[in-house]
Amino acid sequence: MVCTKTGRGFQVITKVLKRIAVSIPVLVGVVLVIFVMLRIVPGDPVTTMMGEHVNPAVIEKVSREMGLDQPLYVQFFKYIANALRGDFGTSYRLNRNVTRIILDSFPNTVKLSLLAAVVAWFIGIVAGIVAAIRQNRLLDRLFMGCALMGVSMPVFMTALVLQYLFAFKLKWFPVSGFDSFQTMILPAIVLGWNSAGSIARMTRSNLVEIMQNDFIRTARAKGLREHGVIIGHALKNAMLPVVTMMALQISSMLSGAVLTESVFGVPGIGRLAVNAIETRDMPLLQGTVIFTTVLIILGNLIADLLYNVLDPRIREGA
Amino acid sequence: MVNDRKELLVEHTALETGRESTERYFSGSGNAEHGDLSQIGESDTWMDKLKTMVRQNKLAAFSAVLIILMILVAVFAPVVAPYDHLEQNLAQRLQDPGMVHWLGTDELGRDVLSRIIFGARISLTIGLVPTLISMAIGTVLGMWAGFYGGKTDFIIMRLADVMLAFPSLLLAMVVMYTMGGGLVNIFIALSLVNWASTARIVRSQTLSLKEKEYVEAARSIGVKKWTIMFRHILPNCLPSLIVLFTLNIPSAILSEASLSFLGVGAQPPSASWGLMVVRGKKYLFSEPWLSIAPSAAIMIVVMAFNFLGDGLRDVLDPYLKEQ
Amino acid sequence: MKRRLSLVLATTLAVGMVAAGCGGNGNSGGAPAGGDTTSAAQETPAGDSGAGGSADTTGFLHSVQFADIQTADVQKTSKDYEVPMNIFDRLVEIKVDDAGNSSIEPSLAESWDVSDDGLEYTFHLREGVKFHNGNDFTAEDVLYTFNRMLTAQGTVNSEFIDQIKGAQELLEGSATELEGAEVIDDYTIKVTLKEPFAGFLACISAPGVSIYDSEATEAAGDQFGLDPAVTVGTGPFRFMEWSYNDQLVIVRNDEYWGGQPTLPGVVIHIVPDTETQTMMFENGELDIIDLDFLTDAIDRLQATYPDQIVEGNRMGISYLTMNQRIEPFQDVRVRKAFQMAIDRQAILDALYSGLGHVEHGIFPHGLIGFNENLPAINYDPEAAKALLAEAGYGDGFTMELAADASASDTVTMALEIIKDQLAEVGINAEIRNYDESTWLETRKSGELGSFLSTWTADFNDPDNFIYTFFGNEEKTTLRSINYGDTDAMARVSSARAIVDEAERIAEYQALEEKIIQEDAAWVPMYSRAHLFAVSTRVQNFVPVWSGIGDKFFNGITLTE
Repeated sequence: MVCTKTGRGFQVITKVLKRIAVSIPVLVGVVLVIFVMLRIVPGDPVTTMMGEHVNPAVIEKVSREMGLDQPLYVQFFKYIANALRGDFGTSYRLNRNVTRIILDSFPNTVKLSLLAAVVAWFIGIVAGIVAAIRQNRLLDRLFMGCALMGVSMPVFMTALVLQYLFAFKLKWFPVSGFDSFQTMILPAIVLGWNSAGSIARMTRSNLVEIMQNDFIRTARAKGLREHGVIIGHALKNAMLPVVTMMALQISSMLSGAVLTESVFGVPGIGRLAVNAIETRDMPLLQGTVIFTTVLIILGNLIADLLYNVLDPRIREGA
Repeated sequence: MVNDRKELLVEHTALETGRESTERYFSGSGNAEHGDLSQIGESDTWMDKLKTMVRQNKLAAFSAVLIILMILVAVFAPVVAPYDHLEQNLAQRLQDPGMVHWLGTDELGRDVLSRIIFGARISLTIGLVPTLISMAIGTVLGMWAGFYGGKTDFIIMRLADVMLAFPSLLLAMVVMYTMGGGLVNIFIALSLVNWASTARIVRSQTLSLKEKEYVEAARSIGVKKWTIMFRHILPNCLPSLIVLFTLNIPSAILSEASLSFLGVGAQPPSASWGLMVVRGKKYLFSEPWLSIAPSAAIMIVVMAFNFLGDGLRDVLDPYLKEQ
Repeated sequence: MKRRLSLVLATTLAVGMVAAGCGGNGNSGGAPAGGDTTSAAQETPAGDSGAGGSADTTGFLHSVQFADIQTADVQKTSKDYEVPMNIFDRLVEIKVDDAGNSSIEPSLAESWDVSDDGLEYTFHLREGVKFHNGNDFTAEDVLYTFNRMLTAQGTVNSEFIDQIKGAQELLEGSATELEGAEVIDDYTIKVTLKEPFAGFLACISAPGVSIYDSEATEAAGDQFGLDPAVTVGTGPFRFMEWSYNDQLVIVRNDEYWGGQPTLPGVVIHIVPDTETQTMMFENGELDIIDLDFLTDAIDRLQATYPDQIVEGNRMGISYLTMNQRIEPFQDVRVRKAFQMAIDRQAILDALYSGLGHVEHGIFPHGLIGFNENLPAINYDPEAAKALLAEAGYGDGFTMELAADASASDTVTMALEIIKDQLAEVGINAEIRNYDESTWLETRKSGELGSFLSTWTADFNDPDNFIYTFFGNEEKTTLRSINYGDTDAMARVSSARAIVDEAERIAEYQALEEKIIQEDAAWVPMYSRAHLFAVSTRVQNFVPVWSGIGDKFFNGITLTE
């Protein structure tokens, strides 16, 4: 492949722009799906929201004030227009700006997820390497089994058991809260372990595959020690898809966060979604889902670019 | 070529924690480069491959046996279960495990072992039904998109993009919120959430397969498009689909447990394992078996499916096999 | 080149995302008072010592709730009472003595006169009371509070004062002023009712009728109740900080007119998981937990901490309805059989460790007007079968038990037991699960099948029970009971105006017996004790008289 440098740069930009262009209809689709889904919910949201002690006259007044008497498409376009300006509307139940609530909870979810990512990487890569070296032997099964256990138990149960053992029995950590590094460790382990299985599996199969490749054989022939070979060469190549996968794992992390945050009392975005469902707070649910989804789309974009950065073949070609 | 290998790896690996959006950006570009999928199943027969798996991977073989056993237990639940799983006995509530009730009794005095055995029916159904539905939808749409291309492709794939953009649990929550709890609604929610990843993978395989000579040949002699798809393309997608299937089942079982935890899952008295865990966990301190036993059941089945899926992929996936 | 460009783009995006995340933090931290409620959110990352910045919570009591509150503006919530109860005061309060006698005590109103016809209430207000912002409390504030209850957007507690003359008109918008409220001078206000109503004082003791500062509340606008800095009252505690889904902090009001509270403050943690709460309590991270939702742990906690369980009364009755619009419940024999087919004691024992009383009427133990001489409804499946056969349902029938998805697991379990018990007499009850809003709407349309629910007193008066369910045709339809005796309901309605207390109670008791024993309008289930577990350092904690889970913190002391 012969290509000028500017040509490559141009290619990347077009590629990125194309990605972004593809993301826009997806975003609109996401908003539309959620919007429609939440509006075919049976029952009048205002009645539910206001509960027992309420006067029918008030219900009507509130519906009108919230614009719920307007046709659906008007509501939809208004919503899109506001969302573009970063305004996701006002929560029914909390009576304040949804964007504000989300942005206040978001840092906690970010902290939890980043820490969880570290855990997931650690467990996943260690288990993956050991398993690959001892392919199809007892250690392989054992380490893969351990890594997979995190995805095999219901997250809330893993959370409870760890909480019981390490916070309640051993008292190494506080049971609940999210205000210091110490309080973040347990939730991060639960969430990270949940993602470790896929990373371990991927590391293992990539390593196994790459170790069969010629250049590893060459390295071995040169007399490098076995472990040196693996760490020095194979791992570097095997990590590529694993790296990019991490960004793509945002999606499953956020799913896991919904549960982990509830058990450990972390005031994050996942909790908001659960709150919104419990209190049938449509604007909050809508805002939370759309916000997380945008994050995932962005995460995918980043992963895609990272893939380009890290791919050795592209490097070799350049 | 090398690139393609990576792509499929990513695709498969991404599936076990639920449905992730991994595959699309890796298989979305450079379709024409897709490799020699026609080799699948040509060198070895299915039986040979399975034999290889049993030889190489005892754990996968053991998992397969375990799964078959579980299915048998579920089918013959009324025969296997020591008690009626719905029979209450308030005088006998929260009994410790012992000779009479091997796993004790629950908060309404029902036999826990019998409830787990009957729960296997519900949990395995929750694993199977939505996976079958979503994969059937995904396969048909994926082949359709890949084979017809153009506008059809664009629309189907953008739709898949939309579905893939949601975190699976959040979307399932929204669906359950809209429709309310219950078994049928769980089927719908999980099917709706999971079809897109299958469609992605089938589409990318279809794209490369349709360039093959025999497909070209069939087209040139005027064989109908859908006939080609089901005769020539689908069989070649089967190995990937089987692996996917094995890995999607456990994630459906876990999703249901999560939904139950959030209060939008299956409804009593039809106790799935997930619901049993959720209700049992209140007694974690005094009667831990109420939550530990169904958790263990879930864990065993999920791990068995995962190990089997890994084993199957090792032998069925052409990319991993060639050396 | 391509690689580097991609790297730059990827990094930019990633940094952008993280920055967006932390941005929320920075913003809220930067917003001074008057901005958002969420200024407390900055505490979260700040560190581990105490609340990490603003409030020093040493010596504070640690309380807990399952879900965060909606607002501290009690005119806009019908359940999140804990913060309002402690930061605001009412005109009067209800006190219940050890013998269970309830009385109306002065609070912001020092005394009051009631006219002979029971229509006019003149309140003499306490002088020298200040709001947390230093403003004086006057009669204008009371008038403002009443007005706002009837006119503010999303007001939910208006029914506590809708007996005031002109309230309905103001609520509907056909009037601009509250006709029945008149400020006589700074410390006197006269309230006129549209008709005599003996429960009026009890009504205005409800947390929903907390008195607001006219000036500060008006200035706070829609931030009132959301931003702690602008949410001021006259109560023993000030609203200090609110970190959503994390914790609420209230601190002592040193200038409190009733004397300085002993507690320096209270941290209310938000912890959604029941097991987590239990572990926190046992680890010493919490001082008071409400055992209502931890019923499964009651036996164990009682055994482990026998001296740390505080039992409160609950003026609430659990009831199981029978919709007379639905076949075959229009037949009184079927309803009576249904009443006898359910073993309430067994359910109380199994699910609530037997803590509480089986009830036989409408007014539960502890409520004014509770009648201990009411004939008992006994569990008798044989008699039930015979009665069903007599009514022509010897082979039983199929019916619906309507479960509300938002109900607790314990209620669901109770339904499962009831289903089992009904099967004994040949009734095939099917549990149908409704989502909360469909359940509520179906119920309000009068079409809902049988359901199990609990009514807890808003104010200590039988009227709050009997009128709510059997006050008139509309009320009974709203509860999907569809009680048919219009004469009895007319009597319920007119009993409200009986000025003589003894006479009014006698009438209520007669009606109770007629409606439940004679007409079998519902199955009275039980009233449950309300238990709390407290840490060893908590002294003098008294649950609220009505048995709601929200707590008054004034009066509690902590020993170290």
